[in-house]
Amino acid sequence: MALVLGIETSCDETAVGIVNDRKLLANVISSSVEQHVRFGGVVPEVASRAHLEAMQQVIKQALNDASVTLKDIDAIAVTAGPGLIGALLVGVSSASGLALALDKPLYGVNHLSAHIAVDRLDNDAIMQPSIALLVSGGHSSILQVNNLATDVIVKGTTIDDAAGEAFDKIARIMGLGFPGGPVIDKAASSGNKDAILFPRGLTQSADLEAHRYDFSFSGLKTAVSRYLQQTPNYLKADVAASFQEAVVDVLISKSIAVCKDSGIDNLVIAGGVAANSRLRELAKQRCEVAKIALRIPPAGLCTDNGAMVAALGSLAINEGVKPSQAGISADSAASIAQVIW
Amino acid sequence: MSIILAIDTSTSRTSVALVADGKVLFTKFHDDALAHGEVLPKLVKEALAVNKDIDLVAVGMGPGPFTGLRVGIAFAQSFALGLNINWVGVCSLDAMAASIDETEFIVSTDARRKERFWASYKDGKRVSDPAVSKASELEKLGVPIFNEGDYFPDPASLASLAVNIKSVEQPIYIRKPDAYPLPAGVKFRAMTALDLVLAAAIEKEVYGKAAWSSAQFKEEFAKAPKDAYYLAAEAQGELIAYAGIFYVADVADIHTITVVEKYRRKGVGRELLKRLIDWARVKKADAIMLEMRLGNDAARPLYEQNGFVEVSKRENYYGPGLTAVVMRKELK
Repeated sequence: MALVLGIETSCDETAVGIVNDRKLLANVISSSVEQHVRFGGVVPEVASRAHLEAMQQVIKQALNDASVTLKDIDAIAVTAGPGLIGALLVGVSSASGLALALDKPLYGVNHLSAHIAVDRLDNDAIMQPSIALLVSGGHSSILQVNNLATDVIVKGTTIDDAAGEAFDKIARIMGLGFPGGPVIDKAASSGNKDAILFPRGLTQSADLEAHRYDFSFSGLKTAVSRYLQQTPNYLKADVAASFQEAVVDVLISKSIAVCKDSGIDNLVIAGGVAANSRLRELAKQRCEVAKIALRIPPAGLCTDNGAMVAALGSLAINEGVKPSQAGISADSAASIAQVIW
Repeated sequence: MSIILAIDTSTSRTSVALVADGKVLFTKFHDDALAHGEVLPKLVKEALAVNKDIDLVAVGMGPGPFTGLRVGIAFAQSFALGLNINWVGVCSLDAMAASIDETEFIVSTDARRKERFWASYKDGKRVSDPAVSKASELEKLGVPIFNEGDYFPDPASLASLAVNIKSVEQPIYIRKPDAYPLPAGVKFRAMTALDLVLAAAIEKEVYGKAAWSSAQFKEEFAKAPKDAYYLAAEAQGELIAYAGIFYVADVADIHTITVVEKYRRKGVGRELLKRLIDWARVKKADAIMLEMRLGNDAARPLYEQNGFVEVSKRENYYGPGLTAVVMRKELK
């Protein structure tokens, strides 16, 4: 049993979570998303400044929410990559300062693995091995998780845009705002998902040979923008719902295919896009039919947060992984293979 | 005895000192402009091995390159929080000036982009707010300049300053983030054949005799669509700007970025350029090139900000006596 404080600053959320083993005690998030709306995307320098400004208050709030003091903390965990380098460095430096002052171990952890690790919080059974669909603004992959701390295999990944990126771009073209995930989800709720048949990337038999578990969203993006240009009086809700269906359909079909082919009947869906309501609904339906045990963290824990970082730190401790050395090197392009620094 | 841990990461040097009532117990630095994050915890760990009963943290608040600067500040604030002690922010230039024995002088550090962060001092006191300027402008002030490289913010001085001054609570950034809001009310979309007539009219208005005709545009459009990318911007349903790029043999070539007079200097060209660069990156081009007419170079600062450098001039490119300036941006 260890009390772990996790810090996450890889993009635009300054977040601190505290867990006791697998029990969630605090999850505080300060987002700078409002400051990025007028730029139509996250501006790294704006995000980094906001992290430094918010950090101390977010740590204090998390301690307060968990009713613990820094002296009680057994270990610090921090996202060391992938992410925006300037943003990551604020979190890593804060975590290093805390760990040295408290003389407690520090774990630099992988942001992507942390998204999956959050599923273990407050859950009785751990699903392992499992197939994980990881979908966020920067990543779309299917992973085979034999052991989250030590053995993760990439089965498929996007060959162009991430799913979250496709949401952002289509929302921008349609003038729905930023970030794209929530606004499209909302617009789609009153639309007809079967109104327009948009292409499902890499699902033709020729593509399936080379890219059986890979994704591609750039063709879909082009198809949607062409449709918008050629259809002056298009219904936003129908376009949003049909676009969303095309993304979600491929994500789930390919994940289930990996489950079937590998004989692993456990699927975890994680990452910011896992908060999408249609993804959650369709995954549930199809997994029931396919007799696959499905787990998706609560929507509030799918987007970036500190609890997931603390959860992965806690897992590393339980697995007997050694802490990171002083002076961890944040890596903006870290691969999923590097779980703990 | 009161022990101060002093930290500065505002320059290419990461430095740490441990000072007890004016006596330096430990001091060490490491020079690497890109490794503050890795170096600082190691240096502090060494300092703590000497003495870990710290009473106060003093930290250089800049000015300095943002990413490295924040490493020191974030570390110092959290370290102080961890020990439940105070931290004090000090202007890093003051800690550099403290060891200089002159009546009137300037200290300056590297602000990148060929500029300097600086402040001026007289009779041991800072007499100007920290600022950023071109090096040539500093020389005009006619007082001795002490530059980063020969001098650095001294952590021991930082510690002694921290005892006597009011804490600088915010990082001294001086520059705003390099970010520009999207132009309000302007929509960007792919250019289509329907835009060609209007685009040809804008061409004529903007470039006169050197303008492309509608037929020339069509010809460009007929090229393989995978290797060319044309964008249009519209406001209130009207075409106000367009841009095009094509990709041949590892290099992407910007064919045009044209904005109607009324909508210039509103960030439309900047956004178009950004999208062309993004496209070239996706195409995995090694570099992007563009030509502009010498004398008609209002957009030159925009290109330079985006990493384009002049590589050559082509005489008579746009007609007799009209020289083209060729600029190139490396993507690899």
